[in-house]
Amino acid sequence: MNVVRFMLQNRTQVLELTSEHLWLVGLSTALAVLIGVPLGILISRRASLNKPVLASANIIQTIPSLALFGFLLPVPWLGARSERLAILALTLYALLPIIRNTFTGIRGVDPAVVEAGRGMGLTESQLLFQVQLPLAVSVILSGIRVAIVISVGLATIAAAIGAGGLGEFIFRGLAMVDNRVILAGAIPAAILALLADLGVGWLEGRLRPR
Amino acid sequence: MPDEPTTPVIEFRDVCFRVERTPVLSRVSLQVNRGETLVLLGRSGSGKTTTLKLVNRLVTPSSGEVRVNGISNAQVDVIHLRRGIGYVLQEAGLFPHFTVERNIGIVPHIEGWSAGRIRARVQELLQLVGLSGEFVSRYPHQLSGGQRQRVGVARALAADPEILLMDEPFGALDPLTRDELQREFLSLQRRLHKTVIFVTHDLREALRLGSRIALMEAGKLVTVLAPQEFLKSSDPWASAYVRAFGDGLETAANRGTS
Amino acid sequence: MMRLPGIFAVLLMVAMVALLLSCSSSHGDRIVVGSKNFTESFILGELIAQQIETHTHLKVERRFYLAGTYICQQAILAGRIDIYPEYTGTALTVILKEPSGRDGTEVYQRVKHEYESRFGLTLGPAFGFNNTFAMEIRGAEARRLNIHALSQAAAFAPEWRAGFGYEFLERPDGYRGLVATYGLRFAETPRVMDLGLLARALKDHQIDLAGGNATDGLIPAFDLFVLEDDRHYFPPYQAVPVLREQTIRQHPEVGRALADLNDKISDTEMQQMNYAVDSQHRDTRDVVREFLREKQLLP
Repeated sequence: MNVVRFMLQNRTQVLELTSEHLWLVGLSTALAVLIGVPLGILISRRASLNKPVLASANIIQTIPSLALFGFLLPVPWLGARSERLAILALTLYALLPIIRNTFTGIRGVDPAVVEAGRGMGLTESQLLFQVQLPLAVSVILSGIRVAIVISVGLATIAAAIGAGGLGEFIFRGLAMVDNRVILAGAIPAAILALLADLGVGWLEGRLRPR
Repeated sequence: MPDEPTTPVIEFRDVCFRVERTPVLSRVSLQVNRGETLVLLGRSGSGKTTTLKLVNRLVTPSSGEVRVNGISNAQVDVIHLRRGIGYVLQEAGLFPHFTVERNIGIVPHIEGWSAGRIRARVQELLQLVGLSGEFVSRYPHQLSGGQRQRVGVARALAADPEILLMDEPFGALDPLTRDELQREFLSLQRRLHKTVIFVTHDLREALRLGSRIALMEAGKLVTVLAPQEFLKSSDPWASAYVRAFGDGLETAANRGTS
Repeated sequence: MMRLPGIFAVLLMVAMVALLLSCSSSHGDRIVVGSKNFTESFILGELIAQQIETHTHLKVERRFYLAGTYICQQAILAGRIDIYPEYTGTALTVILKEPSGRDGTEVYQRVKHEYESRFGLTLGPAFGFNNTFAMEIRGAEARRLNIHALSQAAAFAPEWRAGFGYEFLERPDGYRGLVATYGLRFAETPRVMDLGLLARALKDHQIDLAGGNATDGLIPAFDLFVLEDDRHYFPPYQAVPVLREQTIRQHPEVGRALADLNDKISDTEMQQMNYAVDSQHRDTRDVVREFLREKQLLP
């Protein structure tokens, strides 16, 4: 197959772009988890924060990604290096599924179990870390899985602003009107998304409380 | 022997509880003595579960005072309070992601007991509630309803609290298992002499298990009577209850006091 | 069932793998050459690549068709590419965001200095041609009227219809400055046209003056004449290689290879190469190889 031959011939570049892509997705997802999970925990405890936080994350989601990249370009520190910008944008887009699923996951824990724990004298943090989070982890992971799959796709657009990654193949291929180049970017990206989906999905299944 | 004034283990002084101006409990005053099983009897919405939860401060009174061992609940560290009180719910509320062993050992664990001491205690408790030692590595979803409740009781007893709060613990079980567990509860009480508050809507169960029955209706404490007196009581609510439950109550009352 | 710490361990490992994978900002024995997404940039990129391949032991990877100046700048800053062809005027106004100058050498020095102090990048020696704006008329007209400079054109402009690209008409340093500097007045409002169609329109007598680029391949092909910018209105756009200082330090042989290309390409020669690739649809690699052979740069 033409595409396969092309990818093998250019395997160094394919690997390089794939690793750039992984970096964009990996770092932004990690940041989104570090910010989103605590936020999700927070809003599950304070009902008043629930709507504003989820609404904000929702609004960010509705901004077209290329437009968000465009808004952020003139910002001094961010626009100087497009990876920073791309990672910020990808992190923002990953927030909603992660916050929402953390919230749902924790709220979804059987209230009888939580009450039993509280009644027995577990402190709130013991309750959170030993009971609620472990029971919610499968749902939280599901949110992370969605975030990763979205990110893999969005990161291809990041190439439009020079952040590298597999999208670069796609845009170059479009400019060159060369399908092999386009596919050399699109196929690995699709595979990455699939692998993430399956891998995290498997983990979710293993961690689901019975 | 001179009469020593004994402080009731648990005391409610004129407790009111409101949720956004709707009264849930009105002026409840109650005393629970050491070693007795006080049954809170009433129908749904009568306030019995709320009353129970006031003891381990899952709920705080809007006015009035709850005292445990003479000290007001509001003044003690709530975590310390709760760890000294065993809590058993309907449907056990076992942690689904913990083995039986970790479930039972949870309070000892957070109290810092050594692993060996916890393991030994778990074995002891399993025996106490009539489960074999091999249950330690099972998960709640692998247990029957009755087995889960037994584990729930074992868990509540783990740190050897002097008080047990039980909220309709046998309500979700089939009649045979319920009967079995009620019998075992009585035998356990004979051995351990815990101070128990037991919530139920089942008069038969109340007569069988309680040393006294506190009847509640619409957030008020109607009357507190020993089982035999309850049957003969002329109080309108009490007699309504007795009527609703039909025959065979004498036997239940008798079994309880043996 | 996996305990909580176990999950974090997995996530941590994944993050580390990603980190490690991306820590290859130095390419070892590889040089990555970039280019923008138009023919001339592509040709220059290929030229740089082949020159390095034939004169050093380094392997060259091509990352061409990057969509624009900003993308190339980001790529070279991040170390994803090591070299790419740029124009001094573009570097000055688009990347450094400073007002342009008149003198080619002065602009080159200014850009080189800024790049070195701000970005850790440097400029290689210029390729030789200046791809600035070119005001073209038909060769026959030029010969008939015996004119060769824009200042001479002012006398004839009222008889001419002009065509320009949209951007040129909009830019402050485009059309407005041009007519001011040379006192030009055309027969009618200039036409806005797609850059690719300007030369043809000129040839076909649909317009009489076209605002194109100096190295457009169709200039020699259609016998068009570029009027000299004798008042030096248009800023210099000398083609130069932009390089990472780290690359030059690690591989000085690259600097030597690029030095050989200094001043090797005239405006006309670039026009011819553009024509060969764009209009004759010849393979860029062949065109570049031929050029290197002609210049006796193939060892």
